[in-house]
Parts: sequence; C-alpha cells; structure tokens
Amino acid sequence: MRLGYLCLSLLLLLACQEKLTAPADCPTLCPGGEPQVFDEVINGIPGSDSSFSGYVQPSAAAALLSSNGLVNGEERGIVRFNRRGDSIGVRDTLRAYTIDSVALGFTIIARDTLLSGLQLLLYRLPSTIDSTSTYADLDPSFVPGNLIATIDVPDSVNTGPVQTMLRAADLARVAIPPSDSGRLSVGVRVAAPVPTGVRLGSLGTAGASAGFTTFVTADIPDTGTAKLRTIPLTPAFDSYVTQTPTVSDSTLLLVGGEPASRALIRFVLPPRIRDSATVVRATLELTPVAPIAGLPTDPVRLEARALLADLGAKSPVNSTAGRVPQDSVSAGTAGTVALEAVRLVELWLHSTRPTGLVLSLAQPSLEGASFSRPVFYSSRAADPTVRPRLRISYLLSFPFENP
Amino acid sequence: MRRALLLLVLAIVPGIAPAQSSQFGIRGLGFPGRALSTHAIGSGGAFGLFDAESSVNPAALIGVSTVTAVFTGSQSFRHEENPAGTGSVRDTRFPHFMVVGPARQGRAALGLSYSNYTSRDFTIASTGTIDLRGVPVGVSDSLLARGGLNDLRVGGAVRLQGWTVGLGLHVISGSNRLVSRRVFADTVHYLSSRQQSELSYAGVGLSVGLMRQFGQNFGVAAIARSDGHLNKDRDSTRIGTVDLPFTLGLGMHWRPSSQLDLGGQAVVRTWSAANSDLLAQGGLGAENTFEVAAGAEFTPDPKRPFRRPLRLGAHYARLPFPLVADVQGHEFGVSAGSGLRFAQQRAGVDLALEHVWRSEGPYSERGFILSLGITVRP
Repeated sequence: MRLGYLCLSLLLLLACQEKLTAPADCPTLCPGGEPQVFDEVINGIPGSDSSFSGYVQPSAAAALLSSNGLVNGEERGIVRFNRRGDSIGVRDTLRAYTIDSVALGFTIIARDTLLSGLQLLLYRLPSTIDSTSTYADLDPSFVPGNLIATIDVPDSVNTGPVQTMLRAADLARVAIPPSDSGRLSVGVRVAAPVPTGVRLGSLGTAGASAGFTTFVTADIPDTGTAKLRTIPLTPAFDSYVTQTPTVSDSTLLLVGGEPASRALIRFVLPPRIRDSATVVRATLELTPVAPIAGLPTDPVRLEARALLADLGAKSPVNSTAGRVPQDSVSAGTAGTVALEAVRLVELWLHSTRPTGLVLSLAQPSLEGASFSRPVFYSSRAADPTVRPRLRISYLLSFPFENP
Repeated sequence: MRRALLLLVLAIVPGIAPAQSSQFGIRGLGFPGRALSTHAIGSGGAFGLFDAESSVNPAALIGVSTVTAVFTGSQSFRHEENPAGTGSVRDTRFPHFMVVGPARQGRAALGLSYSNYTSRDFTIASTGTIDLRGVPVGVSDSLLARGGLNDLRVGGAVRLQGWTVGLGLHVISGSNRLVSRRVFADTVHYLSSRQQSELSYAGVGLSVGLMRQFGQNFGVAAIARSDGHLNKDRDSTRIGTVDLPFTLGLGMHWRPSSQLDLGGQAVVRTWSAANSDLLAQGGLGAENTFEVAAGAEFTPDPKRPFRRPLRLGAHYARLPFPLVADVQGHEFGVSAGSGLRFAQQRAGVDLALEHVWRSEGPYSERGFILSLGITVRP
C-alpha cells in the first residue's frame, strides 16, 4: 500500500504540467470558424494631398552634395571655415607664426562605389558665401584659376575621410588676404568619367564636417617641438548649390529636394476597420511619375509619420520608435513604391487621431541631403490606378460568442 | 512513513493548475462535469445519488456524521483523434470541493459545495495556406479557451419519517476567456493577430432530492433539478440567454452481504432545452442526455469499512453538445478506486482511476483520469 501511494505521488509530481493543445479540424471543430483575412485598398482623399516645401535648407542638411550633372544638373558643395587668427597662443603669449603646410579634408558619406576615377576639385570661393548664395552667384568662381587642389578618391574608399596637403608654393592658393579677416571659403566640385555624385559630411553630420588644418611654426625662441603648432578649423557655414533648383508641381507629390519637401496624404478608414479590425498588414503604395533618379549604390530611404494633429504643413507628427515605417528605394525604380506601414496604421485604430501621414526622405540623414527627389502621382491623377493608396489586410472581430 | 507520504501528496496538490480540456468540450457550454467525489468516481458514479461527499443529491448530505471537508483533484492523460490528426493532451483540474456538517443531532445536514458544471478549457491549433494579395501565405491558427461553468450549491437535508428530503440552491456561474491567434509564415510583411474576449455566464437552479432506506440492505434515491437559464454576456454586454436542462435521476443500492455493496443509477438531462438558443447563437445545438452507472464496493473488513475498500464501476453517458450536426457523442468509462482513513478517521485519502472512451463520428479520445480526494473531519 505504501508503495502504491509512493507511485501515485510520483505520478502526480510528474503530471503537474499541462499540455492542452490538440489538432483542430476547422471549421467543424472551431467555434466561430476560422479567422478571415480581408484585403482592402483605400485611396487617399481626392484633392487633399499636397507637398510642402522648406523643411530642411541645404545649409542645414546632413550632407553636402556635389555632382557633375548626375540628376539635377550639377551640385557643388560650399564651405566657409571659421576665422584663422594671425597669431597663436603659446605659453600664455600670442606669437606670430609661419605656415608650413595646410590640409583640407572632407568625409565621404556616400558615393557610387562601382565607379573609378572619382575626383574632388577644390576651388577658392569668396569669403562672403552664405545661405543666400546661388549656383549662378558662385559659378564664376569655379574656374581653373581658383583651383586649390584635386583630391583623387581611391576606389577603396567608399566612405570615410579624404584630404589634400598643400605645401610650399601651393600654399599661395589658400593664402587668406587681410580683407577676408582670416576666413577661407572652398567649393567642391566632382570630376569623374561619367555623371556621378558624392555626399560629403557637413556641419549636420556629427564629427564628419570638412576640416581646414594649418600646420605652423610659432615664432618663439625655442628649438624644441613647442614651436610646431596646429590650427584646426571647422566650418562656420556649409551648404551646396544646385544648378536645377527644385520646382514643385501642386498636382504631384514631391519628396526631398532642396529645400526639402514633404508630402501630406490623407485617408479615410472605414469604420469597420477603424473601430474593430485587427490590421495585420498595411502597405502604402505610391506610383512615381518618372523613374526615381539618384546616386547608384546609394538608395534613398522614404519614411512616413502619422499625423498627431492635422494642421497642414506644420502638422505635428508621431516619431515614436517603431511607428515610423521606412524603406529603401533604389535609383532607377520606375514601378510602384511600397512602404510597409502597419505599425503606423495601428495608431489610427480605435482612436480619433487624424488618418493622415507625412511622407519624407529619412530624417535627418537624407532629408535635404539626397540626390533623389521622388515625385509621385497625387490623388488628382486622372488614372485612378496611380493615385496614393493604402492596401490593408485585416481581420474583423472573431465571433467568439458562437458556441 | 505514512504521514510522510501524505505530506508529499498534500504538497503536490497545490501545484496543480486548474484546467481540463477535451475536444468534446469545445462546442456548446463545454464538457459536462459529474459533481462526484473521488469516493463515488471509484465505483463509476453508481453511488453518486447516495454519496454525501458528492454534489448530485442534496438528500445525501444526511450521510455525514461530523463536519467534513472534501477536496477533489484530478489529472487526465488522453489521446485524441480527429480528421485533422492526433494529439496527446494532459490536464489537471479541481472539479469538486465541499463542506458539509450535521445539524439537529443528526436529523438534518447542511452543506456548501463548489463543483464543475461544464469545462471549456482547450487549445486547438491548425495550419493552412491562404491567398493574400495573390500570394499564398502559410498561416497557423490557434483558439484557446479557459474557463467553464461552476455550480455553487447550498444544500440541506432532513429526515422525515423514514424518508430523507434534500433541497439545493444552485448558483451557476463562470466565464470563458477566449483567445484567437493567427500567425503568418511571412513574418516580414504580416503581423500576427491576437483577439480575445471573455464570455461570462450566470444562472440559478434548484434541486430536490429524496432518499429512503428499505431495511438494512436496500435503498433508493432520486433527484429532480431545474437549472433555469443562463445569462450570457460578452465583455460585460448581454448577448443572449441559454436555457439549461431539467435533471431527473434515480438510483438504488443493495448490500447482499456485509462486505459487498452494489449500486446503480440513471440520470436524464434535457439539454435539448438549450438547443434553440445555441443554434440561434451560431452553434450546433444541444441534445438530451442520459447517464447510467453501475458499480460495487467491496469492504474486506466490515468492522473497519474505510480500510482499503475496493471500488469498481462503469458508466455510460451521452454527451450534450455535438461536434457534428445530427451525431451525438458518448462516453464510456470503467473505474476502480480505494481509500484510506487515518488520524482516528479525521482525515482520509481516496483514489480513483478511470479509463474513458469518448467518440462521436470521426472524433474520438481515450485516456486515463486519476482522481485524488482528500477528506478532513476536524
């Protein structure tokens, strides 16, 4: 008997787990049947979508664009460095110095990695450049007489720093006359066997802006290394100018460009979806007007953010991590661009939030800093198949009450 | 050693989670419970109408001589078959709890019990492929339910000129917590869905029981019970009602010798009362059921009836909620059990092992149910 109780106890001990899952012979054995997935295409509200421009100026972009006629004509980066003083402090005393050499450096953020023979041509620009400077204003400065140096970009450098050193007689090309008050301005142009471009680090790119370093010998009675000094300077201003500025068309949806544009698209979700559906997939589909141009091997990233309030161009948007769908679009894409946006659409469910979104290039890395300017058909397009649309896959409430 | 074993058993019991599943409990209100103590299960339920530790017949409460608490736990191991495949499941539950005590110098008794009315604990899973946006996508579905209906009974019994009459008030309540999940094989583009709901039920019933002993060796018992109807709410919103059955039962036992007691009973429930309600709610309806049981209890030492009695029995029952229209499921089980009293009969342990077979068309299952009953008489 004791043995029996012992066996029983061990059996119960082993049995303290449950395994309740059984195979289902649905729909016969499934109360309520099987979940049904519905697929529905929701077009944007006709006439309510627009592009708004002016969000990111080139001077505030995360990259300087330089190209030799890649997409929008030619782009040229421009940099004005901080003022370099005419003396240097050594042992609490300002000393005069003699310039030994100068380094001008840039950081490549993106380039066509399949292209050989890429060169950056550095030109001397007027020290007065600022955000109002235009391509036409500065074009006369990009002449051989103002060429400071040419940086041959090794094919092995896809990203990272490149620089040129100027010594001896070449220093005259970066000599700063007293009238410029110690400020040096430089323009960057690209040369390559074929049209291409390069995105360079700017003030908006942490730790990757252009650098102007002067190596000097201080005028001090010392024969040691204390005489050798370095004057590193970062840009006070940088930007780029473009040969073909962005021209918006109110009947289309422009994203990107300079200054950056964003597209606001509004939808109406049917109550059966908004109030009681479980959305399992939502795809924002956009049809480009023309193949999306851009820098090969540097795809542009689109992103969409849900409106928190619908105030037009100044609508606040949701930037919660995980709720901002992004996707890359390669240069040359001509077909429908699809952005998986289920996490965004979830924000619209069971709420009174406006069911609209703002489409832009990825912020802040690409907005105002990409060669691509995708232009999509809007809800005003004559062909309904090219209008912006949301394709939503959803489940309605499961009929649990069916016994 | 015996105390150590008892402590071990008692230590294990609290770790058992309350749940029971059967594919025959998926439809309707679930798989019906029997409200029997382990003592009665051992003999197939044949003595259920006479058993003071069961919640079938309020008149049977008169059988206790002192305040008694009864606790029942069970563990089942089953193998299920249906057209979608086979599966092995195991589950545990606490189907019955009771406190009962005598009153008026043994001429009456009062009891409170909590028993399982129906169980609706299950998880069913299936896989398939559906066409979404013109592309076949694999899906895995599961439907999970936890809960069921419980029967809280307040009962009393009194002796009246040779008869014992019992009356029970039943509060039937419970809930089903249901979760439907769909997971897509294409996890890159599709999120899984999870929907849940809670159905809650409430109703009130009344039972009347009779018991009479004819001489020392023969007795009969009968019950009549009406459970009224259940109110059914979904997430706190009334979505309907379900009529519950009338129950009629008759049992008898005969003691041909001092060592042997034979018993049998039959119970009929008019579950078809719920048919129209369940059909209206999208279900497959309900059908009347009957249950018959026969069994015996052999007592090796009549002077010490609680020392290792041997209980044997069998039962057959129709199941109320069909899985397939126009086909009614049934259950057949054989059981054996024993028990032990100790600590001057202030505590006891009963054991029962059932082997059950259930089937309905292409659906079937078989398995063992191990029941453990603990009785305390403080």
